[in-house]
Amino acid sequence: MTAQAGTRAADAVVLGAGMAGLTAAVRLAEAGLRVVTVAKGLGSLRLAPATIDILGYGPGRVDSPAEALPAFVAAHPHHPYAAVTPGALADSLRWLAGHVDAYAYVGDASANMLLPTAIGVPRPSAVVPETMAGGDIRSLRCVAIAGLRALKDFHPALAAENLRAAAAAGGLALDARPVLLSPPTDGEADVGTLSFARRFEDPGFRGAVAAELRAALRDEEAVGFPAVLGFDQVRSVWTELQEAIGRPVFEIPTMPPSVPGMRLARALQERLRRAGGRFVLGAQAVGPEIRDGRLAGVRIRAGTRETVRLARWIVLATGGLASGGIEVELGGAARESALGLPVFGPDPGEPAFLPGYLDEHPMGTIGLRVDARLRPVGRDGEPVRQNVLAAGAVIGGARPWREKSGDGISLSTGYLAAGTILEDAG
Amino acid sequence: MTSAAISSASAAGQPAPAGRADGRIDCDVLVIGGGSTGAGVARDAAMRGFSTVLVERADMATGTTGRFHGLLHSGGRYVVKDPKAAQECIGENIILRRIADDCIEDTGGLFVTTPIDDPGYADRFIQGCKATGIEVQEIGVAEALRREPRLNPRISRALVVPDATVDAWKMVWSCVRSATQYGATVLPYHEVISVIRDGSRVAGAVVRGPGGELRIRAEVVINAAGAWAGKIAAMAGCEVKVRPGKGIMVATNHRLVNTVVNRCEMPADGDILVPIRTVSVIGTTDTLVDDPDDWPISRQEIDEMLTAGENLVPGFRESRTLRVWGGVRPLFQDEGPAETRDVTRAHAVLDHRARDGVEAFLTITGGKFCTYRLMAQDAVDAACGVLGTSRPCRTADEPLPDSGEQKFYRIGSRLAGRERTLHDEQLICECELVRRGALEEAIARRGAASLDDIRRALRLGMGPCQGGFCTYRATGILHQATNLSAAEANRALLEFLQERWKGLHPLLHGDQLRQAWLDDWIFQGVLDVEHLPLAEQERARV
Repeated sequence: MTAQAGTRAADAVVLGAGMAGLTAAVRLAEAGLRVVTVAKGLGSLRLAPATIDILGYGPGRVDSPAEALPAFVAAHPHHPYAAVTPGALADSLRWLAGHVDAYAYVGDASANMLLPTAIGVPRPSAVVPETMAGGDIRSLRCVAIAGLRALKDFHPALAAENLRAAAAAGGLALDARPVLLSPPTDGEADVGTLSFARRFEDPGFRGAVAAELRAALRDEEAVGFPAVLGFDQVRSVWTELQEAIGRPVFEIPTMPPSVPGMRLARALQERLRRAGGRFVLGAQAVGPEIRDGRLAGVRIRAGTRETVRLARWIVLATGGLASGGIEVELGGAARESALGLPVFGPDPGEPAFLPGYLDEHPMGTIGLRVDARLRPVGRDGEPVRQNVLAAGAVIGGARPWREKSGDGISLSTGYLAAGTILEDAG
Repeated sequence: MTSAAISSASAAGQPAPAGRADGRIDCDVLVIGGGSTGAGVARDAAMRGFSTVLVERADMATGTTGRFHGLLHSGGRYVVKDPKAAQECIGENIILRRIADDCIEDTGGLFVTTPIDDPGYADRFIQGCKATGIEVQEIGVAEALRREPRLNPRISRALVVPDATVDAWKMVWSCVRSATQYGATVLPYHEVISVIRDGSRVAGAVVRGPGGELRIRAEVVINAAGAWAGKIAAMAGCEVKVRPGKGIMVATNHRLVNTVVNRCEMPADGDILVPIRTVSVIGTTDTLVDDPDDWPISRQEIDEMLTAGENLVPGFRESRTLRVWGGVRPLFQDEGPAETRDVTRAHAVLDHRARDGVEAFLTITGGKFCTYRLMAQDAVDAACGVLGTSRPCRTADEPLPDSGEQKFYRIGSRLAGRERTLHDEQLICECELVRRGALEEAIARRGAASLDDIRRALRLGMGPCQGGFCTYRATGILHQATNLSAAEANRALLEFLQERWKGLHPLLHGDQLRQAWLDDWIFQGVLDVEHLPLAEQERARV
């Protein structure tokens, strides 16, 4: 197997186009490296709420991730955050805020906001789109949760009732009630989130929503919307809607596909393109290319065709169990799917899954282990290769969804993986 | 707030059970057990003009009936080993095709000699079919592979028989609808806590339901509790040995075959692949267990099913396996062998007067899903004997509601319905094409607070994503359509996730593990369901 004729070796091949992969790729490309991103699919970021959750539970609710992280890392020595210093975390957050043009990301690691989910649970998040920050239940007194009749992925009555109960349980006086809006949808009963986001960019549609809202709102009520307030023009849609109704408006993330996730993925891909990074979609890494005992690149399969991409560095950001970065057979045998790196999972004989849905399943923390520079290590704790860096959910040791730490891990490790390469590249 | 009684204004002239207001009901026939047999008995008794009450401890068809692979036997499976059972099967197969076509898909069946099977069995099989009246036709291997391209190409013989598949929940609910039209009262979520004795006779039962205790007095009590029949009999002071025979099944995420495929061999583990609705089910095993409510599924059993699937359809192991589940057959044995496959699959009606000196108490047990109607007929015939009357059975002639026009279910039926309402209605469960209107109608009909009850009515959450995308939507709609509090709706959601997890976790691997993790991302990452507000006692339950 040889490299395709005419294919120059890249400086870095980034495997995966989620939060971690895109972050690493953009940072490397902007530093002037030749970067090729190889992704099997569009990337999990499009499914994500796109809030940068750093640490929400550990296991009790965390008010300040920055304050909680040292003890959390000490208790979880194989957690990906063990490789992330507070300074690096702060740098990565600043970096992200500077790379999204559509709207601002607000907040930092010093304090979590408590933002309602689509079912009305106040969920801790640290850095979020400005359109969401107004949902912090500690600063709300009176809120209307606005549903859209044709949107099946948002149920305002259930969200409002749960939000009220949760606020009361937390000692907050929050009045929340549902408002169901029926703006014109051209006779379509089943309109998806992205389709609604496009419709909101039409001033006529927005006007109809505002008129319906004005008639329904009570005094002093803020309005929580499903996160469908525009796509490219989110900032102007959000601003103008607030002006039209004279109330603060905030967005609530929905189930996948997620409009805020698509906005963020679009923003980072656009940066990658502008910085000259290449993007190869529909291709899967299937193994390492070893030359002279050294990892010289990666074997890529697209359809039935297999090629080699040579690179000085490889960033492995293929994701965890949900993305196929880690594959598990019946019986629990697991492999890292791109390069076959050592995987750390449940001990042999230990059950992979427990009978309770909400139990902490031993399989839940499966993944690679890395050193302080994000190089995957073997059983001996030593790096397997000098020129492979891991980022995001392929690194084990975390329970991202339970901890509310997913995109915080992906952003900071993606940022740091690029940092390691930039250091080595001099 | 679980399901209330299911009854309807009784048809003119049909006697309805009396009472209720004071926690008492008087009736002619009390049926214990809401599986296919109990539902069949209730329908049969009501059609013969008896005032009838059925009680079931959980939802209808949640015991063995709701937990099998969905095969409507031609009888072929039993022609060599148990010709009497085979004869019963083919007789009922013909009747059910006539009276329950809406519940049946006419897939046809194949018995194929695979490389691990005795090549001589096929000839005995053909003889057995002829002796028991089952239509059988041998086709060439090439023709079998043309019909079912994924079949093992190394089969040596292929025999066509009139197997079919059946939606057990639909069948049971059709019987319930028919029974209530004839005046019966059907009480799911009513568990028998004691049997009322009146001297030497059984005079009814005390049941506990959502509204408290009910005292049901009856002229005759029919114990149709299947694998649980021994427990009910014991409450009446009778000993009935029903051994629970566990069988496990594994479903794949789509149909690998469109015909029921059986190994042409003596009954064995993993000898059948059943295309049912949107999935294929490989089954099954047969292991005696002690308690019908408590038994494990081992990884080894799952592995054996995958190996068995591989023998019928090469590549089976690489297909995506959705879930594993098991059911317990009621294997009746007064005295006899311990190997469960040697216990007869025919059924028995026990009159406890002759057997135990207990009057007005009958047990109907053994048997299998496809002979439920015949079992019901025999049980109600015996009940007529107890009541000193003779009324003919009509269930073989009168079609069930929505059936009787020889319009079998087709795999494309739901899609055709969906296409008619493409722009007018929301699709709540994409995997199983459940429309919002169908969901709202089922919620209204059942008055249910359980998404699992809705699942059995609509197959909500039974497809590849196993509830990942429909559960939140269905919970929101349930909360709106009923008077549920958010805490109750939250509980319904968490219970449904737990129910789905139950069948997933023993075999999670490969692509289905990816799916399960995406689902977790939705529920825990995006919605944060682990912090849903619940009433304290509800948190303890979940």
